[in-house]
Amino acid sequence: MTFDIYLIFNSIPKMLAGIGVTLQLLFLSSFLGLVLGIIILLMRISGRWYLSFPTFVYIYFFRGTPILVQIFVIYHGLPQFEAIRDSVFWPILREPFGCAILALTLNSGAYVSEILRGGYLGVDKGLHEAGKALGLSTPHRFIYVTTPIAVRLAIPAYSNDFISMLKATSLASTITLLDMTGAARTIVAKTFAPYEIFIAAAIIYLVMTWFIQRGFGLFERRMSRYIKQWGVI
Amino acid sequence: MSDLIGWSDDYFWGAMVVLKIFAISLVMAVAFGLIGATAKLSKSRIANKIASAYTIVFRGVPELLVILIFYYGSAITLTSIGRAFYPQTQFVDIAPFWAGAFAIALIVGSYATETFRGAFLGVDPGIVEAARALGLSNLHTFFYVRVPQMWRLALPSFGNHMLSLMKDTALISIIGLEEILYVAEMATAVTLKPFTMYMIVALIYLCITTVITLVMMALEKHSNRHLVGAR
Amino acid sequence: MNESDQKPIIILEDVCKFFGDFQALRNINFQVKKGERVVVCGPSGSGKSTMIRCINRLEEHDSGRIFVDGRELTNAVKDIDAVRREIGMVFQSFNLFPHLTVINNLMLALKLVRKAKKSEAREIAMRFLERVHIPEQADKWPSQLSGGQQQRVAIARALCMNPEVMLFDEPTSALDPEMISEVLDVMTDLANEGMTMIVITHEMGFARSIADSIVFMDYGEIVESNPPEEFFQNPRFDRTKLFLEQIL
Repeated sequence: MTFDIYLIFNSIPKMLAGIGVTLQLLFLSSFLGLVLGIIILLMRISGRWYLSFPTFVYIYFFRGTPILVQIFVIYHGLPQFEAIRDSVFWPILREPFGCAILALTLNSGAYVSEILRGGYLGVDKGLHEAGKALGLSTPHRFIYVTTPIAVRLAIPAYSNDFISMLKATSLASTITLLDMTGAARTIVAKTFAPYEIFIAAAIIYLVMTWFIQRGFGLFERRMSRYIKQWGVI
Repeated sequence: MSDLIGWSDDYFWGAMVVLKIFAISLVMAVAFGLIGATAKLSKSRIANKIASAYTIVFRGVPELLVILIFYYGSAITLTSIGRAFYPQTQFVDIAPFWAGAFAIALIVGSYATETFRGAFLGVDPGIVEAARALGLSNLHTFFYVRVPQMWRLALPSFGNHMLSLMKDTALISIIGLEEILYVAEMATAVTLKPFTMYMIVALIYLCITTVITLVMMALEKHSNRHLVGAR
Repeated sequence: MNESDQKPIIILEDVCKFFGDFQALRNINFQVKKGERVVVCGPSGSGKSTMIRCINRLEEHDSGRIFVDGRELTNAVKDIDAVRREIGMVFQSFNLFPHLTVINNLMLALKLVRKAKKSEAREIAMRFLERVHIPEQADKWPSQLSGGQQQRVAIARALCMNPEVMLFDEPTSALDPEMISEVLDVMTDLANEGMTMIVITHEMGFARSIADSIVFMDYGEIVESNPPEEFFQNPRFDRTKLFLEQIL
């Protein structure tokens, strides 16, 4: 068994073709997942049972089942219903890309809402009270006092979740999408060189992870400008 | 509904496979985590570096990719070795069950390494000294004093690792393991009701993760029982 | 006072210890005979703790030699555990194993190090719990006991190993005042029974009543070492006088 280094270099361009799909999945799902997560959070902290109860069920389901199963339910399962096939969403739901985005978004929304909730709970109660005392209305307090601090607190957890999302995109390859993992699998099927190809793909993912971590690190530092002892770390 | 009853047997056995693979991977993951944490906390620079590489690689590479590398990689290696001895060999592989279990144990083990490392650092150094002062060997101190204390601190995070491990087992179906996703695939071909079949899979996983969560809550309570109102 | 004509059970010869650039012990020469009770006192940072921790090798000395019961302390692992078995240590912060009940705290080392059987270990443990006057606490968790009780358990735990020497590192400094005497009483009983003891403490009344000699340390050196009468009546050095003035 030989280890063909050249194969790695030759395959990298082909795999980078997959990176486009990977990045689309990553950013689109993360963005939509963030929006969804914010909505879910607001429903959760609204205090009204008819808003918060559905969120409990939603979060429970999407955190308690594997992403792969969620993807399969949406991609393989939804076409079972005529109502879906006849609906206006069908063009999206018929395509593997649309299904992958939907599944990843729903999954992300559940985790992100919990992460944001963690940040929200971490804001000192005293600050809420100070805002009230100053006469700020509830929405104003939420936007100008709570949110900036909650966001800063949530960054470490969110960056981990973002990296998890990157890894989750590889599951799209199971429903025929040619993201990096999908591209890699196709090449391996032709060349029978799993080590070289898959390891090359793994290296690309690791590089991406590294960039994401640096990016979030810088972001966190910027958000923490006002904290005195940050430099100590 | 009648479709379901016909398949309930298969789903049951599929679920048993999932539970078996979960149990075996869990044991391996704990072992990898303890070894990794010990390596990271040791004075040897080499051990530190290897453990760091381990956690960086297995936390940054998609789980599916890790499973694929292990399964297909080992298959190619074994097949080559097989061909060297018996030229007619077509294909030798490690059963998907073991390749998959080992792969996800390595992945969760890397998360566990970080969790255990933090937890070991949280152990009161005074009681470790007391154990050494009593003449307990390094090994005895590790298993009878360090680990019990560390476990209490690691439990909440480790609970999450267990849930990840459980959900990762679904990925092993991709390399051919015959568990509940495989059953759903077959059932769909016959019943033409993919949503129902796959939702059953989802609900089975939901039940298992719920049980795990409840067990974790009970374990947390038990491990903190000695902290009854301190005087 | 106990007669002690044998060779010293603990010998420190020109021992030095550094923490980075800071010299914690400067040429310590110190001997303890079997059955002798020594009290070590001095200001914080004077090296008292470091010195006794070198005796059971919780700290490693950088130069000089240390002998315990004829055995020299070196880097060989087997030796260290064997030596530690014969030395009991009581810490300022008790350091009871929080995840074990009181009786199990005592039994752990008996089972693992002395290889005692469970029933045998339990018997020995209960005996020592009675000696420190708290047999009824056997099945409680350490967190359920008061500080004084916890420290007595710690003493019992060390005694279970039947050590030749007992080291006490400021055993009462972390206790509320009303609990100090219950611990000192146990230590006095121990002294009267002939146990070889090295005690770091600021409890001068206790020192006066049970010590065979009192050692004063300052800046990593042993400044004076004298029987209690001499020590309190005629301190030879100014540093000692200063310390006594502050303490008494």
